[in-house]
Amino acid sequence: MSHLSPLFAPTRPIGRRMAAGLVLACLAALANFGLLALSGWLLAAAATAGLAGLVAAHAFNMALPAAGVRFLATLRILARYGERVVTHDATLGLVGQIRARSFDRLVRQPPAHLSRQRSGEQLFRFVSDTERAGHAYLDAGVPFVTAAVCGLASVGLVGAFVPSAGLVLATGLLTCGVLLPLAAGWLSDRATARIATQQDAMHGDLVDILQGADEIAFLGAEGAMRHRLDTRQAAIRHARLHLAAIEGGARALTGAMAMLTALGVLACASTALHGGLLSAACLPMLGLGALAAFESVAPLPAARQMARHARLAARRMRAACALPPQATGGSLSPTAPLDLDMRAVGMRYAPDEAWVLRHADLTIRQGERVALVGPSGAGKSTVAGLLFGFHDYQEGTIHFGGTDARALDPDALSGLVGVMAQDAHLFQGSIRRNLAMACPTADEAAMWSALETAQLAAFVRQTPAGLDTLIGEAGLRLSGGQGRRLALACVLLRRPRWLILDEPTEGLDAATERAVMTALMASLPHDATLLCITHRTAILPFLERAVEIADHRFHDVAIPRGRPR
Amino acid sequence: MRTADRGLTGLASRAGLWLGVAVVLNGAAAAMLVLQLVVLARIVDNLAFHAHTFGQETGRAGWLAALLAGRAVLGWLADMAAATAGMKVTTALRADVLAHLLRVGSVGMAGAGTGETVTTLTEGIDALEPYVAHYLPRAAMMVVMPLMILGCVAGLDGWSFAILACTGPLIPLFMALVGYRAQAIMDRQWTQLLLLGNGFLDFLQGMTTLRLFGHAHHAASTVGRMADDYRRTTLSVMRVAFLTSAALEFFASLSIALVAVVFGARLLSGHADFRTAFLVLLLAPEYFMPLRAFSASYHARQNATVAMRRIAALLALPQAPMAATIAPAPPSGPLAGIACTNLSAAYGTDAAPVLAHASCQFPRDALTVVVGESGAGKTTLLRLLLGLLAPSAGTIVALDEAGQPLAGPWRDRIGWVPQRPCLPSGTIADILRLGAPDADLAQLRAAAAQADALAFIEALPQGFDTPIGERGARLSGGQARRLALTRALIRDPAILILDEPTSDLDPDSERRVADAIRRAVPGRIVIVTTHRRTMIGQADHLLAVADGTIRPLSASERAAA
Repeated sequence: MSHLSPLFAPTRPIGRRMAAGLVLACLAALANFGLLALSGWLLAAAATAGLAGLVAAHAFNMALPAAGVRFLATLRILARYGERVVTHDATLGLVGQIRARSFDRLVRQPPAHLSRQRSGEQLFRFVSDTERAGHAYLDAGVPFVTAAVCGLASVGLVGAFVPSAGLVLATGLLTCGVLLPLAAGWLSDRATARIATQQDAMHGDLVDILQGADEIAFLGAEGAMRHRLDTRQAAIRHARLHLAAIEGGARALTGAMAMLTALGVLACASTALHGGLLSAACLPMLGLGALAAFESVAPLPAARQMARHARLAARRMRAACALPPQATGGSLSPTAPLDLDMRAVGMRYAPDEAWVLRHADLTIRQGERVALVGPSGAGKSTVAGLLFGFHDYQEGTIHFGGTDARALDPDALSGLVGVMAQDAHLFQGSIRRNLAMACPTADEAAMWSALETAQLAAFVRQTPAGLDTLIGEAGLRLSGGQGRRLALACVLLRRPRWLILDEPTEGLDAATERAVMTALMASLPHDATLLCITHRTAILPFLERAVEIADHRFHDVAIPRGRPR
Repeated sequence: MRTADRGLTGLASRAGLWLGVAVVLNGAAAAMLVLQLVVLARIVDNLAFHAHTFGQETGRAGWLAALLAGRAVLGWLADMAAATAGMKVTTALRADVLAHLLRVGSVGMAGAGTGETVTTLTEGIDALEPYVAHYLPRAAMMVVMPLMILGCVAGLDGWSFAILACTGPLIPLFMALVGYRAQAIMDRQWTQLLLLGNGFLDFLQGMTTLRLFGHAHHAASTVGRMADDYRRTTLSVMRVAFLTSAALEFFASLSIALVAVVFGARLLSGHADFRTAFLVLLLAPEYFMPLRAFSASYHARQNATVAMRRIAALLALPQAPMAATIAPAPPSGPLAGIACTNLSAAYGTDAAPVLAHASCQFPRDALTVVVGESGAGKTTLLRLLLGLLAPSAGTIVALDEAGQPLAGPWRDRIGWVPQRPCLPSGTIADILRLGAPDADLAQLRAAAAQADALAFIEALPQGFDTPIGERGARLSGGQARRLALTRALIRDPAILILDEPTSDLDPDSERRVADAIRRAVPGRIVIVTTHRRTMIGQADHLLAVADGTIRPLSASERAAA
């Protein structure tokens, strides 16, 4: 069961790539260390041989160590290139996998949670959180593992020649690789949190300011708004400088510690040299080796920060995904006739909130054309949500097609009922993609016919790319009314037996509104049901029956007659 | 592309002083590094080949420690200066762009979505920070450091100098060639990367719609597939960048190896001494280090170029005509009316005109209601009156008591209530005082009473001090409109303009808002657009916008409206 698997555990192929990336990263770090150490030895040995006279110089075999240097240099280049490609490949794969899994969890939750508790801002954060969590491997895992392996190897090598020097190196590496990142992290956590809060606030302010630009200008409030922004920016700058001071400090300290440790290693090595335990050629090697070992430790303070960010991101994601999956969702299919029957329904969003519906009765027979009217906030849009189990109800019963709504199979239901929600989403990409998302099996003729009914075909035809016109971010911007009509076309394309349209003509002028309603009524088969949620009186004459929500109940009301103009 | 480049150059000059400080400090730190290596080479040489004990080297070790401390402090200060430069640039630029956008107004910004603009203002401008704080100082160090080391090596060893001097300049050349290729690939795949990169957000936003389509279960696998496509596309771009670094390392290793081999041979034959060889070997990687650091921050420049293009697009938006006239002006005489004569307006030069030779009057002490089908030009008329849009022909003048055109600006005397009022987070009193920072509570109460907002404000838990917005109380649509009306009335405007003040309201709220507007009429020119009957019923004069013209409706036509 994919939804039972943990969010962050990598799949086999990605895990293999991650492991390969780690191996390559260690190989590159070790090659770097070996290269510097061997070069130091090579020079010193050549110098020793040269000093010892002509015979020794001739006896000195330079070919082998020189080949070693060339080998290590090549290995370093290749391993580093491989490391970068493989680790980035694995990271992007991991992010994709985390996204797929978390989406799978979220999509099983009641949408009430999504719409009521998650603003666009929070969705945006969720996207960056999945990225952060996936990047933990690249930004924190790889540097720490590489530093550990390379540190152990270098301490081992140096210790093998001069044990005391190995101890000095180990102390230096642990200080820079463990103590320093911990201390820097501890010092900067508060500033990091402050930046996040202030940035959110600034984001909100900017949205308010830009949306109200004209009003602000006429209120003469530009100065006040600028001051608001300046205050936020100053707070962010202050915290950022604090962070930069800590990061820069850690970097400078690592550099100084590297040199000091090399000095300590040299001191130990010189004692060993005088004791006859070490050859002169090995001393420069150990010094250079110590310096090289620090190269893998230097990125660790930054890696600690990234690890923390990733942990926070993972915690937020887990909390978001941990909401209980939808309780309803049975396996029964509704049977004909597809009547909706609500008896004494009581519904509220939370136990401490007011009732939206109470003792509410409503029956809609298959084939009826019904308008649902009422003041804004009265619960008109709740009806579709109740049917699909998006909201739970606390009292009464709801039956659809003779089946209890709670036992309905959501997939079977969505095949029969087409809902155009008030906030129907249009997906990025082409018009064709949006239509195909609604109904993957539809052919081009069906698409055009749906667009025709929604009164959008003429507009699409006059765009150069037709159905392949990109909309949104990378393409054409649709007006509000055009967007509504495309959403309507998407629902119509599915040819549902039941149609629930929430404010289908919002944002349309009167003539287009009439044209849409006329075409819609003409296109509906006689046994198809239409429920139109609206506050526009102009579309009422197109319908047979009107139901008003008032005092938490449904009441039949008369439709102002006079045929549609 | 070129404007973006010019913008980036402008950025560098904005942060000039701090960047200069950073570069000087970095240069000093680099000099200390070279000195450090000189001392270290000497210590190693003495220990290995001159039979010194470490005790004999404590003096030099002390020097080394002092140089270390100096370099650490200088390096840290340089980092701080660079970070300050980055933040100074971004904060100042953000404030400038926002100020510009406020002068552009909603009509000018209509092309760019709010979300997109805010992203440009936040993340876009943030993307410039690494460019200023890292890329620019590193670019300077790429010149300073190699020259310093080259000078040093020239004094030590001719062969090594020749090798480094020859290989050094090859690297930036080669990198530039590969960099162009990476840029070309980036440009080609930009749209695809953008779509795939935003795909996840898109699906999250459309989750409910997907469920209603019954596709929720397949959607998760689609998300996975899109991520996979994104991975492949991104990697194809990244590979080129990684290849650049590999080439850089190849050249660096090659020249270091050359230096080492040449030295090895001469050391064997006794033509060179170890100290020089060791020092040059220590210096050689530092010669290439700034290049490596620079190439690591090369993408900072690419990100900044992309961001700068978007920022430049915002800055290129023309200011609204009202921007010049809205500044507080010396009070002109009393206004008796507004006259529009022969007005024509269109969005863009080749677009069909929304209004063509339309004329109308707005008298004082009267409520003028503008009706018309959506898209007929009601909003355009309001924009012309507000000065958000310049007419392509015709005039709008304010009239004095004698019916003569008023000299001087008059738009600063407009109170404007849009369909969705701007209510930033804050207390009720804060929001009301946005337009009149000095207003006292009595003034707030008087205006609130006039706008029928006093009762609901006082019913809130903390009255005027109740916070609203994200973390505060939620207002209903009708309450928000009445609050916005209160705010406009506090400034006691001579002209009051409201756009669809009662749309989306239930009948009770609608009546209260309409009554409040009615009460504001005496002494003012009040102009309202609407399509709601209750509001139309309150009108003294009714204007219909249709087919590009504006005409008053007679009493009988009013009854039919």
